[in-house]
Amino acid sequence: MTTARDRGPRPLIGALVGLGLVIVLTAALVPFRADVSRAAPGLILVFAVVVAGLVGGRIAAVVTALSAALAFNLAFIPPFWTLAIDVVEDVIALAALTAVGLTVGTLVAREAEHRRAAEQRTRELQALHERYEAVQAEREQLAEEATRVAVLEQVDEQRAALLRSVSHDLRTPLSTIRAVTSDLRAGTGYDDTTRDELLDLVIDEAERLDRIVANLLSLSRIEAGALQPERQAVDLQELVADAAGRLDRLFQRVQVELDFASELPLADADYSQLDQVVTNLLENAARHSPRGSTVRVGGRLRGDGMLGVFVEDEGPGIPAGDRHHVFEPFWRGEGSSSSGVGLAICKAIVEAHGGSITVESGPGRGTAFVLTLPARHE
Amino acid sequence: MSEAPGALVLVVDDEPAILRVVSAALEARGYRVATAENAEAAIHVSATDSPAVIILDLGLPDMDGIEVCRRIRQWSATPIIVLTAEGADDRKVSALDEGADDYVTKPFSMPELLARVRVALRHRSRSADADESVFEVGDLVVDLAGHEVRLADRSVELTPKEFDFLALLARHPGRVRTHRTILQEVWGPDYGTESQYLRVYASQLRKKLDDDPARPRLVTEPGVGYRLVDPAEQA
Repeated sequence: MTTARDRGPRPLIGALVGLGLVIVLTAALVPFRADVSRAAPGLILVFAVVVAGLVGGRIAAVVTALSAALAFNLAFIPPFWTLAIDVVEDVIALAALTAVGLTVGTLVAREAEHRRAAEQRTRELQALHERYEAVQAEREQLAEEATRVAVLEQVDEQRAALLRSVSHDLRTPLSTIRAVTSDLRAGTGYDDTTRDELLDLVIDEAERLDRIVANLLSLSRIEAGALQPERQAVDLQELVADAAGRLDRLFQRVQVELDFASELPLADADYSQLDQVVTNLLENAARHSPRGSTVRVGGRLRGDGMLGVFVEDEGPGIPAGDRHHVFEPFWRGEGSSSSGVGLAICKAIVEAHGGSITVESGPGRGTAFVLTLPARHE
Repeated sequence: MSEAPGALVLVVDDEPAILRVVSAALEARGYRVATAENAEAAIHVSATDSPAVIILDLGLPDMDGIEVCRRIRQWSATPIIVLTAEGADDRKVSALDEGADDYVTKPFSMPELLARVRVALRHRSRSADADESVFEVGDLVVDLAGHEVRLADRSVELTPKEFDFLALLARHPGRVRTHRTILQEVWGPDYGTESQYLRVYASQLRKKLDDDPARPRLVTEPGVGYRLVDPAEQA
């Protein structure tokens, strides 16, 4: 990219070129010196000064201007080939040539210098621009790298949250199981009723563990994108009654009230997936309900042809700031002992069916989960 | 079996199943039981019913269990045994620093929890008798006034720091003392984080007490502290 010319004026070459031109031009013009005025060769010799100034800068221009003046004196001012000058007019012509040569040469040299400086600046700017672009590209690459690291960190964070959540969830029912079995093993003398009650608790908590494991498996299936509902006709009221029946001991302290519209169309849904949704919502409601309160579960046909199902409790409710978090995996409200997995699964399953799930709540006025599901058209 | 017939135990947990199971086991041993599902009820009952021991789950819905410890400690010396599912040592240490007397990690075995309840009750009856200066933990006798330690009637020579360390644990037999508590009471208030000192002294003490590594008298609670137990009772 950089040529020799770009490196700046070269005085020696400029002076040689200037001298050469002066000699060549003088030699070329000598045969015609009788036919032309004195001014013509003078002006033509100034051309040599211009070339020398362009190539070699100020010094070359000055050297060439002085040589041109000398050549002009020798070749074109009579008496020829001597330094002597006969007429005053010729002295003025020589002085004029010298002055014009020096002035033009200096101006040309300065102009050439400016041009070179400008070119140099342009090249520097271009180099800077290239450097800037390289830095920019590097920065973009770094930003990409940072994004990738952030995603990995998020995955790590999720994994840690999963482990915390899983260990907490599993330990709660395990505590009951271990406490009861170690107690019975130690031979504590219980009456039959208490003993049966304790064994029932072990069965309940073992089933709870089973549900937690099922939820975790569903979650991994959801994350792998392998959640494909196998749709069939589902009677919602029957499914809810069945799920509530399985949780009957959990509902000893809370009442369940079913409120389904008569002639409700069947749902077009995967039975076992929907069962998991309903079980999670019922368990959630039962655990957050005060003793003796009522959990209402019902279904309606909505105006848009979808089925609407609601699960309402009379628990403490969810603060407004937390409501949009409840469906996030592993999110857990302050002081809550719930899994942080169940509701995330509910949302994923309902959405895989083309439905939606929302929560309505306020502190002190209970919580209602409302989900929509497609109806079966036959 | 019923060492403290009629003693009232307050059980605090937000899991109804745990409440029921622990209540049943305590009642079967002659204790009276009060239960609370949240911090508010726990503080209320501990104020009105003066329980002899409080079993407190740290994960309560309405208040951090450590804060509950702090509140109860403001006006009551009732022994508190915390239940923690977290497994995180710093939670246990915080609870002990805030006045809890002992901890049991979930999932716990019932005999273990009951043993801790017995220790807490024994300590409670002992601290009522504040003049006591001789402590016995199995065949180990620590005489504070005589500055003497005897093991199965044989005298054991200890350095002053070793004696103070052992005496502190012996004054609270069966109960865990945190690293921080031991350092501050034995070495002084400027100490608190130098738990490597304790490892050295604990190993010297074990040597002098002929501790069986499988069933030591001086038990290390990793990340928390030390407790002195009667190996015969741990069987």
